Amino acid sequence: MAPRLDDRARADALVARIERAVTKPTALMEVCGTHTMAIGHHGLRSRMPEGLRLVSGPGCPVCVTPCEDVDRAIAMAELPDVIVTTFGDMMKVPGSRSTLAKARAAGANVQVVYSPIDALRLAQQQPDKTVVFVGIGFETTTPTIAATMLRAKSAGVDNFCVLPAFKVVPEAMEALVLSPQTKIDGFICPGHVTAIIGVAPYAPLAAKYGVPCVVTGFEALDILEGVAMLVEQLAAGDARVENQYKRAVPDEGNPKAMAITRQVLQPCDAMWRGVGVIPGTGLEPRPEYASMDARARLPVDLPPPADLPKGCSCGAVMLGLMLPNECPLFGKACTPASAVGPCMVSSEGACAAYFKYGGA
Amino acid sequence: MCLAVPGKVMELNGSMGRCDFGGVERELCMDLLPEVETGSWVLAHAGFAIQLLDEEEAKKTLDLFQEWADFEAENTLGPTPIEAANASEAGGGSDGPPA
Repeated sequence: MAPRLDDRARADALVARIERAVTKPTALMEVCGTHTMAIGHHGLRSRMPEGLRLVSGPGCPVCVTPCEDVDRAIAMAELPDVIVTTFGDMMKVPGSRSTLAKARAAGANVQVVYSPIDALRLAQQQPDKTVVFVGIGFETTTPTIAATMLRAKSAGVDNFCVLPAFKVVPEAMEALVLSPQTKIDGFICPGHVTAIIGVAPYAPLAAKYGVPCVVTGFEALDILEGVAMLVEQLAAGDARVENQYKRAVPDEGNPKAMAITRQVLQPCDAMWRGVGVIPGTGLEPRPEYASMDARARLPVDLPPPADLPKGCSCGAVMLGLMLPNECPLFGKACTPASAVGPCMVSSEGACAAYFKYGGA
Repeated sequence: MCLAVPGKVMELNGSMGRCDFGGVERELCMDLLPEVETGSWVLAHAGFAIQLLDEEEAKKTLDLFQEWADFEAENTLGPTPIEAANASEAGGGSDGPPA
């Protein structure tokens, strides 16, 4: 679809604002897979001035789910009288030895659901089975699973449980800022994560570390405006949290969703694939909901976990240290049809977006 | 996978309802957004309403996702989240939610 003329003029005006404000090498990171896709789709990298790099961070919960969680889900699905339910995104993500899709083909009981509510319903329909839901997600997804756990508890469904593999975004952004390897001048903050958490959690990034943060929408003009707001802050020596996407994301987020998440889940350390353990960036059931923690409910023996396949650079890609097409496997051994690393497996992974859109 | 999709709430029955997503109707849970009314435009994710939207914003966003889906159809490297959502509605597909 060709952009409307007035959109093109607005885009040109925003690009001019960006060009005026960028006077030194600058790296802006997006931490949302949908931004990664949108930047590629609209060819926005080609509109950025010399010296301004848009890098992709760990923006997709699928990409950062470690092998151990995939291995555990597979092992649970191989137990008798257990059904493992998952969002379809997880099916092809490699574990140490296999994927949920391959395990299903080999006879393991894995079912793809659209909503955690569907998994709860399955548990109600099959009371003689234990139904495990693979709880992956950032703050957008987590409250849907927490709300389902509340429903299970109030309906007395005791054969429903969750394999917790949740991740939180702002704390991971802080870890990236603190990483000596990574240099990030500003964050394009995720639109739909912020629709839940609101803008406040980004405040320490701006106040403590001087990194401006702009919550940004998904249209080309949104992203250009978000980038313009970031580089103008940098040019003025400011570091604030701004919300470019107010029309869909209220500053306060969704307090009800946050309250439900906090009621059911508590912080824990979490392993990010390719990155390592980041303290305090995971969530697990509170003691009152421990009976719904699939790890305690269904003990399984796991193979020693692998992390990334040999030669795969997804870790460096997710830390913004390397562009996807700088990985030696990119487009050769690793393509969407035959993916080696998680960033190529996930349709919103940085490598898949680069492959699809050519890194423009 | 944090993509949320705009839709219009068509009917409500307690905290569950039906929602129209650009022509595809599916079940939606309002536990995270109890203020939803019939006729509300919402942002939905994994079967839950997560935020209210105004109608103009909702329609613009649906157009944007359609544009991505059209590109995807011409460059068949796999479904977009919205296509995946529609595919799993039809009972097929292993590509899950508009997550």
